[in-house]
Amino acid sequence: MTRVRRDPRADRRAAQIASLDRPRFDLAGRAADGGPGRPRRNPRTEFAALRVTGAARPRFDRQHRGEGAVAQVVSAASTPNVIVVDAPAFLVAVVPDAPGGRLTQHDRQLFGAARTLAGAHGAVAALVAGEIEGLGAIGADRVAALASTQNYAPDVTAAALASAFAALSPRHLLFPETPDGGDLARRLALLTGEPLFPDVEQLSATSVSRAARGKRVAQRAAPARLMTLGADVVAPYSGPAREGRSEPLPTAEVSAPAITDARRIPADPATTPLTVADFVVSAGNGVTDIEAFRRLAEALGATPGASRVLCDAGLMPRASQVGASGSVLTATCYLALGVAGAPQHLQGVAGCEHVVAVNTDLHAAMIERAGLAIVQDAQLVMPALIAALESERAS
Amino acid sequence: MKIVVLLSAGAHPVSSAPVLPRLEAQALRLALALGETTGLHAGPSAAPAADALGHGLGLLTHLATREGDDPIPALVAALKAETPDLVLAGRRGQGGEETGLAPYAVAAALGVTIVADAVALAPGAAPGSLVVEQALPKGARRRLVVRLPALVTVHPGAPAPGAYAYGVARRGRVDTIWGVAGSAAEPNPIAVEERPYRPRPKLMRSAPGTGSAAERLAAATGGMASSGANVLVQPTPDEAARAILEHLRRIGVLAPAVANKPAA
Ligand SMILES: Cc1cc2nc3c(=O)[nH]c(=O)nc-3n(C[C@H](O)[C@H](O)[C@H](O)COP(=O)(O)OP(=O)(O)OC[C@H]3O[C@@H](n4cnc5c(N)ncnc54)[C@H](O)[C@@H]3O)c2cc1C
Repeated sequence: MTRVRRDPRADRRAAQIASLDRPRFDLAGRAADGGPGRPRRNPRTEFAALRVTGAARPRFDRQHRGEGAVAQVVSAASTPNVIVVDAPAFLVAVVPDAPGGRLTQHDRQLFGAARTLAGAHGAVAALVAGEIEGLGAIGADRVAALASTQNYAPDVTAAALASAFAALSPRHLLFPETPDGGDLARRLALLTGEPLFPDVEQLSATSVSRAARGKRVAQRAAPARLMTLGADVVAPYSGPAREGRSEPLPTAEVSAPAITDARRIPADPATTPLTVADFVVSAGNGVTDIEAFRRLAEALGATPGASRVLCDAGLMPRASQVGASGSVLTATCYLALGVAGAPQHLQGVAGCEHVVAVNTDLHAAMIERAGLAIVQDAQLVMPALIAALESERAS
Repeated sequence: MKIVVLLSAGAHPVSSAPVLPRLEAQALRLALALGETTGLHAGPSAAPAADALGHGLGLLTHLATREGDDPIPALVAALKAETPDLVLAGRRGQGGEETGLAPYAVAAALGVTIVADAVALAPGAAPGSLVVEQALPKGARRRLVVRLPALVTVHPGAPAPGAYAYGVARRGRVDTIWGVAGSAAEPNPIAVEERPYRPRPKLMRSAPGTGSAAERLAAATGGMASSGANVLVQPTPDEAARAILEHLRRIGVLAPAVANKPAA
């Protein structure tokens, strides 16, 4: 390849400015007109634009995302606009797990994936049994109610889903790859005869991929009609709220369930490993009454954890240490008593959805991290909590 | 109770050598504790599934099929002839497509109930029923009473497989019969392109794609969660306890108090 040859004389003639007495040339102006040569930059104004406004001392955001983000937040707060898709070209349906009517992080990611697949012209429809709040905020354009079953009856739910699938005929139907979601997806695949692309590990609008043969090969395909999505594959939807308009569904015939009785047995906090526990109560150096702490954990039905200081002192078993060199939690709620919140400890808590902290120090990092913070002596709060739980049980 | 365990020829997770998948050995342990058990394998060779004999299985029926045939029709035909009360299988294959659809296809063809992810089995109080304990996320369980016949898939959280013993394996028997010749397995109804697997970085939870550098750092360490934090400074212990319990109930980790409490 050869470069375009430049004729310096012609360039110079082009830069000539009409003048009466002597020839004049505007050599700098050529760049501004998009002429040959690199555009000129003014480093001083560029650097000034990187400055983060509102900070006490000069701070510069070199990735230059600050100003846009600030402007966005302001506009979102002033106009709470809801996106309405009136006549969607197609539907992408989602069946969240929502155990007990609460959306999990995995469910939110599922809506993020559906939004990616729906693009600008499609609509995301949530197929849910029972009332679930906040579906619009996480990206649902439509909400269709399935007949809710009193008990655990996956065969009945799958039949209801099959009739909804026929009625709505969505372009894609997404399930979470969880015990319940994966089970429903496979039942539906057999009921409808539609092939299933399970446990998606990577998803974009045009392709999906999954691991197969003991993670030796990755299978890549165009998005299938039925898919199950693994955890932490797609970020949850973070755009403006969507309408969440309710969509009528024809009522499905209900057959007699084959499972005659179902009872949920909550996890035994004494035997649940910290890494999978749903609710963890942990003690730090601020807890001196370990006996009361143990009784509190039992009364709350929570798995006991501890900071490194207590484990090093031998007051709590090493297996209960939370943090970078202990267990990394996936709990829904973390109740920290007398924990300062050292970075090594907070790493273990980063995955927790809700944090409650009790500490005597208002400026402790744990208080900053917590959704509910109590500035009070843990030795006073623990007996009060136990007493409150006991009096509730007695009444 | 007549029990059949479906045994497959899996690939070892590290060496890819053909082995009995661990899940199926776990299923075998559950079955042997429950009643009279036989094994069923459809495929060109019984060698990998015959490992189950060493775990205490007495009889393995091998349905010989050609290489590359779909094993489902052979399994379904054999199970229809045998009419067991309970069929056990692993929740996923190991080393194949690993879609977990095979047990569902067998159950649908037999017209029996399928229950997924069992970690414990016990005979039910009523005759012809089974108590299945299902594994749920976060250590929870669900106890179901299922009418037989049923097909139950086994979860990795089930008790570890029984030990392998060479002498026991020698005493076991393998019966090889010709299985119903199914059509060649359909390649895959979804057109897939295969390439070597490459692990993907996991998505960082709560890390936003936008925002200033300070906001992104705060989100990565979980600092963003506290926006609009509720701080109670020096409340009385009782106030503190009430606030904590109320908060725990709102987020759903603590069972609600007895209903008549506010009236009291
Ligand atoms: C390489 C390395 C790895 C580490 N890994 C971990 C790890 O995995 N996990 C871990 O936890 N730590 C780890 N640490 C230690 C960590 O740095 C901290 O030292 C430790 O977490 C502090 O524990 P703490 O908050 O319980 O104790 P302190 O730092 O002593 O904090 C006690 C807190 O309790 C409060 N308090 C005091 N009295 C009361 C009271 N009566 N009522 C209520 N609050 C009270 C105080 O205000 C203070 O905030 C690690 C350190 C290193 C160097």
